[in-house]
Amino acid sequence: MLLNVQNITKRFGGLIAVSNLSFSVEGGEILGLIGPNGAGKTTFMNVLSGTLPADSGKIEFDGHDITNKAPHEICQLGISRTYQIPRPFPDLTALLNVAVGVMCGKRRPHMGFGDALLDASHCLEFVGLFGKRNILARDLSLYELRVLELARAIATTPKLILIDEVMAGLNPAESRRAIKLIGRMVEEYHVTLIWIEHVMKIIMEATDRVVVLHHGEKLVSGSPREVSNDPKVIESYLGKKYV
Amino acid sequence: MVKVKLEHKRGRLVLHIGDLKLECTIEPRRWRNPLLAVAVLVLLPPLFFHRPDILTLLTTANIYACVAIPVAWQMIGIGRMNFGPQIFIGIGGFAAALLSIHLGLGPLQSLPLVIIIGLISGFMLSPLTIVAKGLYYSIITLVLPLVFMQLTYVYSNIFGGEYGLSGVQQLISLGSMKLNFLVTFYLSLLMMLVFMFVVNSIFRSRMGLFAAAINDDEDVANALGLNVNWWKIVCYTITSMMVSLTGWFIAYNIGGFSGETYLPLSFMLKILLIVMIGGRGEIYGTLIGAYFVSFLETGLRAAFGSISHVLFPLILLILLLTLREGLYGLYSKHRYREYYPTVRVRKR
Repeated sequence: MLLNVQNITKRFGGLIAVSNLSFSVEGGEILGLIGPNGAGKTTFMNVLSGTLPADSGKIEFDGHDITNKAPHEICQLGISRTYQIPRPFPDLTALLNVAVGVMCGKRRPHMGFGDALLDASHCLEFVGLFGKRNILARDLSLYELRVLELARAIATTPKLILIDEVMAGLNPAESRRAIKLIGRMVEEYHVTLIWIEHVMKIIMEATDRVVVLHHGEKLVSGSPREVSNDPKVIESYLGKKYV
Repeated sequence: MVKVKLEHKRGRLVLHIGDLKLECTIEPRRWRNPLLAVAVLVLLPPLFFHRPDILTLLTTANIYACVAIPVAWQMIGIGRMNFGPQIFIGIGGFAAALLSIHLGLGPLQSLPLVIIIGLISGFMLSPLTIVAKGLYYSIITLVLPLVFMQLTYVYSNIFGGEYGLSGVQQLISLGSMKLNFLVTFYLSLLMMLVFMFVVNSIFRSRMGLFAAAINDDEDVANALGLNVNWWKIVCYTITSMMVSLTGWFIAYNIGGFSGETYLPLSFMLKILLIVMIGGRGEIYGTLIGAYFVSFLETGLRAAFGSISHVLFPLILLILLLTLREGLYGLYSKHRYREYYPTVRVRKR
């Protein structure tokens, strides 16, 4: 078992954003995390990546207790993430954006700057951005920013990647390219994914298992087909009328 | 036995010391213009041997640059605007003066002590970069030098009050006043060039990349595995030490130190304007900004007298608003420059 989440709770004052969430992820699995808006998916991602501290509960990753560890420590243990709204380093080129991940993702004190840039260029080549390596990140399109974030995540040599709505804002052609890229990423880099997505078609096709959140609690967990036919899931998205 | 190897590889000198790898780019176009500028700075001043006022002006410009260079690095490296870097000039200056007056230490003897004092005081204040953000950080840093200045008045028996300390051993005493001025200029130039070389090397290394990442988005940098707090502490501590060294130089140069001159807001504003007008984040720009501000201030005072107190900040504000990329931007916009060495990767 690569990731084991036990009873994670996160509150913002009186609002319970994540409530007693527990699930596990096996190595090599693609886990879909779905739920209506405000279900607590991104909050949970932030807790898992260390951006926000959990109020209670425990997270074990690859044999380490990572609950409330600093984000840089969690990244160096092997968890990387992308963001719902792309957050590149706008004043750095695409190559340097990825080079930050190469140099910081794992302890590499003796890696030369040139070698790091070479590694970064390989990651860019993998996602198809090699030709734009010297373009400033602020000048890239939305699709390019999304794949840049994937390249940056790969550059940290993670075991687990948290993907947060990578399809948001992409047109159908770009979405197909992104799905193929993520599939290649899983095959070639042997990473495990936790994938937050609103596009149900992608969740049904691309994921091995789905966890549904609603009001911060786990509603259902199972295969995509089981989850999509579950009355509780239909009620949470569409209302009782459609059950 | 540690293996040492030097090799020349793709326009770079690479030094291997055991597992450690140090690289230095040797492309001529990177060094040609800076070498020309250094040559001008080295060869021009002897022409003013009989004009100690101009040599003093040039020395002052170098001192401003010595403060502005680490401040520029700090602004990027911690991603925050420090409105009180001059507190470390005070710490270095008063430390040097007190060591000279009470212990009789000369400049070279007190230098290591001032470095240690600068590092310790920088390290003690560095948690500010973690706990305070945005406006709060700016206000706290703005107030610190003013608090220090008040302390010098309260403890006037130690710090000399409004008049400061005097009787500090001279930096250089060669028997001839004019020669002293010239050598002092070269010492200030040496100090400035060392600062510039160190900070430029850092900017072109992984530390520079980390500083740029922290400046752009420190949360994302943290999530990518960069220990942001550690690098901010390192950056703040080292830059504070560098500014303290400038205080040390000032104390031995003028034979004393007064908080009245270097701790108030007016001096801070001058330094920040030098950094911004030179070109924010451009190390070479701080040198251009320092010389520009020094010459402008002195020229306006000579030409317009007391009205220069109004004209000087007005002109700087106009330049700040109109020159977005600073004075260095006027040069760099017309000349393609790679900020980082391009990696030539051949696709098969």
